[in-house]
Amino acid sequence: MNSQFGHAALKVIKPALAYAALLLISYIICFPLIWALSTSLKPSSELSAMPPRIIPQTMTLVNYKHLITGKQQYFGASQGYQPSSAPPQHFMSWFLNSCIVSGGSTLISIVVSTLAAYSVTRFRYPGRRLVPYFSLLGYMVPSIILVFPLFMVMTRLGLTDSLWSLVFGYVSITLPFCMWLLWAFFRGLPLELEEAALIDGASRLRVFFEIVIPSAMPGIIAAAIFSLIVSWNDFLFGRVFMNSIEQLPLTVGVMLFFEGVHVDWGLLMASAVLMTVPMAILFMLMQRHLVAGFGAGAVKG
Amino acid sequence: MTIRLDHINKSFGDVHVLHDVHLSFEEREFVTLVGPSGCGKTTLLRIFAGLETATSGAIFHNDRLVSNLAPGKRDIAMVFQNYALYPQMDVFHNIGYGLRVRGVPKESIKVQVHEVARVLGLEDLLQRKPKQLSGGQRQRVALGRAMVRKPWLFLMDEPLSNLDAKLRVTMRSELKRFHISLETTTVYVTHDQLEAMTMSDRIAVMERGVIQQFGTPQEIYNHPANLFVAGFIGSPPMNVVEKVHVQNGKLFERGSGASHVLPVSSLDSFGTNLADRDLILGIRPQDVRIDPGPAADSLTGTIELIQLVGSEKLLDIRLPGGILLAAEVRADLPVRPTQEVGIEFDASGAHLFDAKTQRNVRHE
Amino acid sequence: MQADWKVADNRLGILFILPFVLAALVFMVYPVLDAVRMAFFYIDPLNPTGDHFAGFDNFRFIFSDPLFWKSFKNAAVWTGTSIVLQTLIGVSLALLLHLQLRGISFFRGLLLFPYIVPTVVIALTWQWMLNPEVGIVNYALKRAGLISENIYWLSTPGMAMISTIMLNVWKYTPFVTICVLARLQTIPLELYDAAAVDGASLVRRFLDITLPQLAEVLVVVIVFRTIWTFNKFEEIYLLTRGGPGTSTFNLAIYSFEQSIANLKMGVGAATGVFMMCLLFAGSVIYIRLFRFDEESTP
Repeated sequence: MNSQFGHAALKVIKPALAYAALLLISYIICFPLIWALSTSLKPSSELSAMPPRIIPQTMTLVNYKHLITGKQQYFGASQGYQPSSAPPQHFMSWFLNSCIVSGGSTLISIVVSTLAAYSVTRFRYPGRRLVPYFSLLGYMVPSIILVFPLFMVMTRLGLTDSLWSLVFGYVSITLPFCMWLLWAFFRGLPLELEEAALIDGASRLRVFFEIVIPSAMPGIIAAAIFSLIVSWNDFLFGRVFMNSIEQLPLTVGVMLFFEGVHVDWGLLMASAVLMTVPMAILFMLMQRHLVAGFGAGAVKG
Repeated sequence: MTIRLDHINKSFGDVHVLHDVHLSFEEREFVTLVGPSGCGKTTLLRIFAGLETATSGAIFHNDRLVSNLAPGKRDIAMVFQNYALYPQMDVFHNIGYGLRVRGVPKESIKVQVHEVARVLGLEDLLQRKPKQLSGGQRQRVALGRAMVRKPWLFLMDEPLSNLDAKLRVTMRSELKRFHISLETTTVYVTHDQLEAMTMSDRIAVMERGVIQQFGTPQEIYNHPANLFVAGFIGSPPMNVVEKVHVQNGKLFERGSGASHVLPVSSLDSFGTNLADRDLILGIRPQDVRIDPGPAADSLTGTIELIQLVGSEKLLDIRLPGGILLAAEVRADLPVRPTQEVGIEFDASGAHLFDAKTQRNVRHE
Repeated sequence: MQADWKVADNRLGILFILPFVLAALVFMVYPVLDAVRMAFFYIDPLNPTGDHFAGFDNFRFIFSDPLFWKSFKNAAVWTGTSIVLQTLIGVSLALLLHLQLRGISFFRGLLLFPYIVPTVVIALTWQWMLNPEVGIVNYALKRAGLISENIYWLSTPGMAMISTIMLNVWKYTPFVTICVLARLQTIPLELYDAAAVDGASLVRRFLDITLPQLAEVLVVVIVFRTIWTFNKFEEIYLLTRGGPGTSTFNLAIYSFEQSIANLKMGVGAATGVFMMCLLFAGSVIYIRLFRFDEESTP
């Protein structure tokens, strides 16, 4: 009766409270980006309007247009930029640079790690057990320590200010974790599949490409996603290695927006959104793989 | 035409897994390696396959040295315990993989795969992926993959142990029939002695890396070479009575303090040097004769437990002196618990083992 | 005595590991060794051939530089506060997400989101939100009546520190949550059922069943996050540049400024060496703790 009603009510209230808490927390987590999106869609007149509204009074895509077309005439003297070197007009080059550099270094790290992980888990030779733990150690070294020696190397090789320096530089921060993750993953792949193929008469190389790689795809994808995210998001290497404005990756370029006399927040937020969109897409498409990959032996942050 | 294993030894680091394994058998035989887990049977099979290399010793197919060949070059096929089907390929490509690797033309592969699929009843499943198949179906695909290559030697690593009991019984006869119709040589590994007994031409019983006995099922059952083989083969397991000795032509046991005569019908078949030795008696429950109405001077025991197993009854009988014996009798034998019954051991079914070497006295 | 095919097979294995060995030597071993070497030289990044030996001068410099010690102290404070907050919030979140509600996996999926967002984006967005005049944070706080005057989030030393801590907590708490959640999901439910039958209350069940199981994971997570947070560069630099002035400097920013702004890469490298020593000490502690934990579990 009374207690039954109370019990039933509690049954409804508890989950309701939980959902409320979850929604609130999700809102807090996503708010910065929601606000960025909202700001990017506002015309500059509305930016400092009070009270600030989440849904813009007038929605406009003008900020995005500026960035994507990068037409010089949009960035005239009224904004305090020198026409010849207005940062925002290079947005698309930066975007392309980031794509090239992330993709390139990811490719290198994945190929190297996959071969190595297979070798370490399938063959016996002295020192093979060191490899994963060595990688783990390498992963813990902060990039601030690596950046200067690598900068000196790039300088001596004349690679500074070229995208190659970033492609190779990023390998130093993506390779260790890719190796660790793929080693853990390959360890869990059953040997029997390969043995069956060997008995069927396939050569070791054939077994690797036709049997092992398809089975290892989930791990490889997880490692690739991780690698792409880490290289795309990096700021330090880009800041130290690159000089010319056209060669910058997205992260470094966008920070240049602050150097004008007047900061165009709408434009800035639009670039923030555009910079995050690829990551969000990757994230959504491969959410399963990410969590599985992290489960395969990663406790780090 | 023989397959010969010559003094195979295998160690993993300090662990010595196979000791001087020496085996030879003929083409078309169905040979089973049987033994408890850890006895080395799977390691031996993998050495056959080339997936492991022996620390010393060699394998010959018809006097041709085979142990230095890669697995793919030995003309063998293997069925794994967990089937090891290629997950990203459908059934058709799984079965045909070995042919594809060897460069067999596509049309020929198609014909051969369909033939094998027909024999195994897999024709409707050819487009499916392994994860869409049941355990029994996967096992047949694994079999098909092995069969389609028409290998000279078939290796099977506990292929039935992942199937449910009923399917296992069906598949046992199926496998044996395939072996016969394919006219191939099979080496089969199992821990199940019933599988070994029902399927094999010859059985190698293994324990701790050593082949205890190699012979036909009848030889192994009726003339076990040592105590281990006697206890491992046969269900329900053989009764073992320790601290037995022969005196004045009679068999005594003295484990319980006092000496009791054991009612063996005759000691002649055991040979002559039985005196002054500690022996162990082994007798299968099927060879223990029970008399519900015992004669006055015969050995009697008390029935403690009766278990009905379909057409037989399994009796637990306590002998004076404390020994517990299992006896298997017809289900319609009139017995009840606490009943005193007469006991006799059929000499042809009784075995004496040397207490120290554990070897069968008749094999000396 | 190996068969021919086995030898050829092994050769393939060696071939496969060579790219990694090469890459590791060039991209992992060499930079670290060179970082140590550079600490003992005067290095001007604009003049790559002009290095000359400095002995321990760079180290003398940093150990006598009050800014260095201030950076060190800042790093410690920043790390300590962040970790405490991350742990408390992270564990609570994990407990919340452990509930068996419909659609909970959507929320769990949302967890990694802060991690994949570029730090630059977050820094920019927060700079906008924390803008004293037109930022939404001050507006919301004033509307709620919590403050009457604008807070200068990024131009007051104390507030700047708090802002960077907030960013760090926002970005990395989900990690703690994921690890804790993973562990929570391995605790067999029967334990709770048995405790409920035994009469234990909700709080007791948490203290006696959940917490001990979490202890292991938390130790690992906390040690790792501490090591990481101590050496973070972007999260502070992109928000405050180490400012206002030098009030939010940490060791990584100190190293960066010495190398790039002051053109004293040797000093930057020496700072790096110091950081590596701390890192090493932290790892040793981690290993000790890890082994200790392994022994203490029955």
